[in-house]
Amino acid sequence: MTQEQTVVDGDWHRVHPASPFVRGWVALAAIVYFFGRDTFERALQGRGTIGDNFNERTLWLLAGGGVVLLLALGSFLLSWYFTRYQLAEGYVRVNTGFLFKQQRQARLDRVQAIDIVQPLLARIFGLAELKFEVADAGHSAVRLSYLRLAQAKQLRATILGRAAGIADGSETVEVPEAPEQVVLYLPPGRLVGSLILSEQSFFIVLSAIASVLLSVLTESRAFILYLIPAILGLGTAYWRSFNTGYNFTAAISPDGIRLRYGLLDTRAQTVPPGRIQALKVTQPPLWRILGWYRIHVNVAGYGEHRRSEGEHRTMLLPVGRKPEVMMMLSLVLPDPGTADPERVFTAGLTGLDSDAGFVTTPRRAWILSPLGWRRNGFLSTETALLLRSGRLWRRLVVVPHQRTQSIALHQGPLARLFGVADLVLHTTPGPVAPRLIQAATEEAVGVFDQQAARARKARRLQSSEQWLAQLAPTALPAPPSTHAIQHASTQEEPDHG
Amino acid sequence: MRTVAIDPPGIQWLRVSPKYVTVRLVEWAIGNLVMVGLFSLPLLFVELGWWRWPPLWLAVAVPAALLLLALWRLVLIPRQVKAIGYAERDDDLLIRRGIFFQRTMVVPYGRMQYVDVAVGPVERLLGLCTLKLHTASTGTNAHLPGLPAAEGARLREQLSARGEARLAGL
Repeated sequence: MTQEQTVVDGDWHRVHPASPFVRGWVALAAIVYFFGRDTFERALQGRGTIGDNFNERTLWLLAGGGVVLLLALGSFLLSWYFTRYQLAEGYVRVNTGFLFKQQRQARLDRVQAIDIVQPLLARIFGLAELKFEVADAGHSAVRLSYLRLAQAKQLRATILGRAAGIADGSETVEVPEAPEQVVLYLPPGRLVGSLILSEQSFFIVLSAIASVLLSVLTESRAFILYLIPAILGLGTAYWRSFNTGYNFTAAISPDGIRLRYGLLDTRAQTVPPGRIQALKVTQPPLWRILGWYRIHVNVAGYGEHRRSEGEHRTMLLPVGRKPEVMMMLSLVLPDPGTADPERVFTAGLTGLDSDAGFVTTPRRAWILSPLGWRRNGFLSTETALLLRSGRLWRRLVVVPHQRTQSIALHQGPLARLFGVADLVLHTTPGPVAPRLIQAATEEAVGVFDQQAARARKARRLQSSEQWLAQLAPTALPAPPSTHAIQHASTQEEPDHG
Repeated sequence: MRTVAIDPPGIQWLRVSPKYVTVRLVEWAIGNLVMVGLFSLPLLFVELGWWRWPPLWLAVAVPAALLLLALWRLVLIPRQVKAIGYAERDDDLLIRRGIFFQRTMVVPYGRMQYVDVAVGPVERLLGLCTLKLHTASTGTNAHLPGLPAAEGARLREQLSARGEARLAGL
């Protein structure tokens, strides 16, 4: 397939022919290494591949290796030949497999998020994987690997354009990539600082002190040895965080929030407006010194990947100061639904008691959480519910009203004794689990009842899944302006009412 | 303790079928009697003189405590069944359960992705069924046991129809 071909004409296309090799290079390398080692070693020792003590073993090894290699190459070719994709009639379809065929299709207007992933090797070859999460495709994402980077970007723009409703599914028009405006760049220095001051560092220092004390007390050095595997494990954890958090850039464009990050493997995520189900701002105790926060989000589909990959994908802001947190909040929640968002969110991040109108745990129940009762609280704005908790590990959860799935009230015997109850909001799987703890019973019941009504009202206002459909199509390719944030927020207005 | 403190005011709760007590009793019997029986074995062995380690008082105390616990649960069953309730409102379904650990849940019709009706062997004998509601959240663990089969079918149709009418995306 020639690379300059368009990808949006409704025909079936194949991925890049190099894809199986990029995906399966480890297997190839292993085969070559296993069967060719002997020969290589001879060559390295300058004895020549077919030396004086040429024997059958070498021949068999080489022949066997050749056969296995051919088989692998053949299966690669077949898998490439039978992997095809199509973009038509509002669906993306991907066919794979030649013995066990699999067809997967996804509705474009249910796209929750699109990622362009480039592992190191793919990056060297200028290839990229396109991966998208769909709300109605069960728990498996649809992925296309690998395409040329430009092609992947174009496909992303088309999918997002059609999902947003500016291009009709029947048309075969290429949608230009939406202009974007970088709003945040994370300097590597701060990333390193955030890792040093993270929770794991705290525990490292603690365990180091403990082991030193122990070795002094018992007069043996064996404890240091026990630490070696721990240090190795932590080293990898730090490296992974650094590798993925490096060069973190957030940008906005009409088709959503774009996040880009990665040192060796890079990833570009696009989350369309209104697809964030819940958000959490946290601050570990040590970060308080420098006033840093981090933001995690729940996006349908992201939560299914419990591995480290998912952990980073749900990170909206790895580390940032308050103005950056406020900016991210304004992107996620263009209409905060309150007259003074600055004050409200500040109270949510650092406040105590009833500043800015937060309702906290009643004084009578202080014994249930002696430290946190002045912070555990909630505030409901026109568009979102804010839940605040944690005195040491500060935490603010924001759930837009129209994103609430279902709500539950929990009350155990002890809580009943003190006249308090917990309110649990259910959202899509992810790192954020919104729970209002120990609110006065009457308040909790009030929120429970009102929240159901508010969510109902908010959902009614949200008329379409296609977030730009109500706007004139000409409104989209507007040039990136300095007021890009406002620009984006006016575009999202219909979605949020 | 007849308190219903955490329910929203003015809700007419529909109760599940009293026959559901039987289902719970069967479950209780299978779970607890087996447990008590197993833990009574040492007592038997000690009595027979095969074992000497657990002292007699311990061999008696463990199954006795378990038996008490089981009996306590048994006493609670009818009240727990009575505590299960549901209410259909215009836009959402309310489900409540629990006496000591009370839970009240509201599931908007527009959020339901699908509705399951499950029937176990004992339930089938009694003509009951369990209704399960699923939303995009795994946290929504909404099931409504002990519904008469006809009521279950009606509710399923009703909920599906209403869900269809109010279906919202994520």
